Amino acid sequence: MTRISPFAAALLMAGTFPLHAQQTGTDTPQNPPAEAPQSDAVSESAAQAETDSAPPSEDVAQIVREVGSDWPYWGGDADATRYSPLDQITRDNVARLEQVFTFHTGDLPEGTAEGKYSPEVTPLKIGDDLLMCSAMNILISVDAATGEENWRFNPGVPNEAIPYGATCRGVSVYTNPQAAEGDACATRVIQGTLDAKLVAVDLETGAPCEDFGENGTVDLWQDVGERVPGWYAVTAPPAIVRGIVVTGAQVKDGQAEDAPSGVVRGYDALTGELAWAWDLAAPEQNRNGPPEGEVYTRGTPNMWTTATADEELGYVYLPMGNSSVDYYGSNRSEAENEYATSLVALDATTGEEVWHFQTVRRDVWDYDLGSQATLLDYQGTPAILLPSKQGDIYILDRATGEPLTPVGELSDLPKGEIEPDFVSDTQPVSEWHTLRKDDLTEKDMWGFTPIDQLWCRIQFHRANYDGFYTPPSSDKPWIQYPGYNGGSDWGSVAVDTERGILIANYNDVPNYNRLVPRDEVTSQPIHKKGAGEDSGSNAEGAADPQEGAPYGISVNAGWRNDVTGVPCTRPPYGGIRAIDLATGETLWDRPIGTARRNGPFGIPSFLPFDIGTPNNGGSVVTAGGLVFIAAATDNLFRAIDIETGETLWSTVLPAGGQANPITYEVDGRQYVMVSAMGHHFMETPVGDEVIAWALPED
Amino acid sequence: MSDTTAPPNHATTHSTIWGVKILGWVNVLLGAVIFIGGVWLIALGGSWYYGLAGLGLLVTGILLNRYMIEAIWAYLIVWLGTLAWAWWEVGADWWAQVPRLVAPTLILVLVLLCIPALRRHPSKI
Repeated sequence: MTRISPFAAALLMAGTFPLHAQQTGTDTPQNPPAEAPQSDAVSESAAQAETDSAPPSEDVAQIVREVGSDWPYWGGDADATRYSPLDQITRDNVARLEQVFTFHTGDLPEGTAEGKYSPEVTPLKIGDDLLMCSAMNILISVDAATGEENWRFNPGVPNEAIPYGATCRGVSVYTNPQAAEGDACATRVIQGTLDAKLVAVDLETGAPCEDFGENGTVDLWQDVGERVPGWYAVTAPPAIVRGIVVTGAQVKDGQAEDAPSGVVRGYDALTGELAWAWDLAAPEQNRNGPPEGEVYTRGTPNMWTTATADEELGYVYLPMGNSSVDYYGSNRSEAENEYATSLVALDATTGEEVWHFQTVRRDVWDYDLGSQATLLDYQGTPAILLPSKQGDIYILDRATGEPLTPVGELSDLPKGEIEPDFVSDTQPVSEWHTLRKDDLTEKDMWGFTPIDQLWCRIQFHRANYDGFYTPPSSDKPWIQYPGYNGGSDWGSVAVDTERGILIANYNDVPNYNRLVPRDEVTSQPIHKKGAGEDSGSNAEGAADPQEGAPYGISVNAGWRNDVTGVPCTRPPYGGIRAIDLATGETLWDRPIGTARRNGPFGIPSFLPFDIGTPNNGGSVVTAGGLVFIAAATDNLFRAIDIETGETLWSTVLPAGGQANPITYEVDGRQYVMVSAMGHHFMETPVGDEVIAWALPED
Repeated sequence: MSDTTAPPNHATTHSTIWGVKILGWVNVLLGAVIFIGGVWLIALGGSWYYGLAGLGLLVTGILLNRYMIEAIWAYLIVWLGTLAWAWWEVGADWWAQVPRLVAPTLILVLVLLCIPALRRHPSKI
């Protein structure tokens, strides 16, 4: 019986083990919004409704496109609200949605790319076209009504360039205000690639823009140092402000202190020439590139996620990650300490810093800012909303960086024994709203049976854990909660500006970590691996060398039982919440993700219960009163009532839906779309489809 | 294996009832594992539940092996204690109750299925 009982229990529980997802610092971005007023009216027709918005300066003035029939920016509108004014699909008719088409990019992992795909792509929709990149950066234009391919351009990214995962979250578009319609590259599609290039092609034809860099390509390895494929990669769409294309890059985490720079650079959107560089450790000296023979400051915090463009103020807001060595900080410079894990506002025309707001002091937890910030009006002030991996949501004055909502301070935090002089005993927290749950206790331990639950309780007591911001340790493991998956990650949040509701999906999983003394570290940093050696696609930090620091790092992401693979903490592992923008109060909160794909020993249980799974990818909110989101590891795409949190419609995707959805309109018909391409770290099946749904045409 | 716990219909007075025997040994094994882990947990400053429940399971197993009807009472105490403890810890959080209640309740069902056999079979004191 005893064997029966655990097994049966396991079936019942269906656990959920998927876990975590995320990566710390590595990837993610998004794109740029500029600020655009949102209007209910669908923007004009096809071509693109562009409204001039406060033209900044002379001829660099940039068109601000409106969301509606189009989905012109990675974040929906230029403000990155992920709100659409479309209302044909409503709470009453959403149950009638049917699939209209599915488009296969044809980009599936081959050879050494196996097990490393996490495409995360969100298309843009402009005029009649959908514009997207595949996991390996093939640029593709697709007819938005039929799913027929218009053109594709393959920049030929090699498998060795895959950093942590093959990811391209999306592309950005720039229209030359001086060009006549029909000129080559009058409107261009721009992406950053895994092999660290900026690539610009003509939106109409897919032909490389010859006036941009070298035949349509700018090499981002320039002045970054030794070219090590996979160490320095772009996975996020660039932000484009006043004619300047702004991009950072993912620097693969945990390799070495002497790593590629986290420099953020601006390039002329027409010529591809370097407009400025922001090297946080040498901003003046390296503004126009480092002196001959030198490189940008090594190992500095990078921006792997998507920045937000502010066309009106001419700023770009950069969610910065942490230094290359995430879990040890004593060797960091003062400049790194100043800017790591901060939102930084730069003047996008000059590259000069305007302000910055730090969310973690002396980050030794890999709490990179992963979410794209959202521009909004907060009680009459132009503001920017910033979610963090710790779950805190801040609202800042866009012009000054001053908080508009209360920011509290934790004090007397433990400093640990590893580097007590470095670790900060105070940290900021949002008193307006946090997605973070209470600290873990022994009672939160879980398993399928009393035996694995008991084992997790023992692990709980054997680890160092003093609650939120427990510092790293090496004599014993330490529990980090929330883990580096968030809180909020690259999918960010959606803001229904009409109803005044913020929709945030989040993870609720700890990590179980240990600093590994140097003499026990067996892994090699990426630049010391042999040519044939796999650079590894394991979970971020699973066993990273952190060369240059006295310790490597071992991370059990999602803290799963080492024997059964079942999470050591109770469900839910992920949720979605509606927050009243006026008060910061929760309107509803529920688990997201059913247990259908999870069960003991990897056997799907098909249980329809909302257990709450880890999730990766954001949501879309519509004037029709709906929240569309996939993200969870159950492979479902669903529509949720924004007023109640109830699921009104769901459909099974052919692969993991770890991507942000979009909605758009063609010829008066509203479509919703999400890519189903899977995610290696989320343990969802890989695919290559982009799928559209709409109401039946009567 | 649960079907082997069904009481046989023929006279079994002095023969071995395999269902009861197996259940007894399984309880001894599980009880020992949980007791040892439970003592470790107590030493670490954690819950006393596992040490006590492991002991209770161990006793239940031994009594079953001796065909003593007291096994039923012993396990009922374990199970009721488990119920009270589980409710005290996490209340109506049903996902959290799964590891706490599902397996112990399955064991309860199997233990109760032993009643007819234990009634007929003389105990080995």
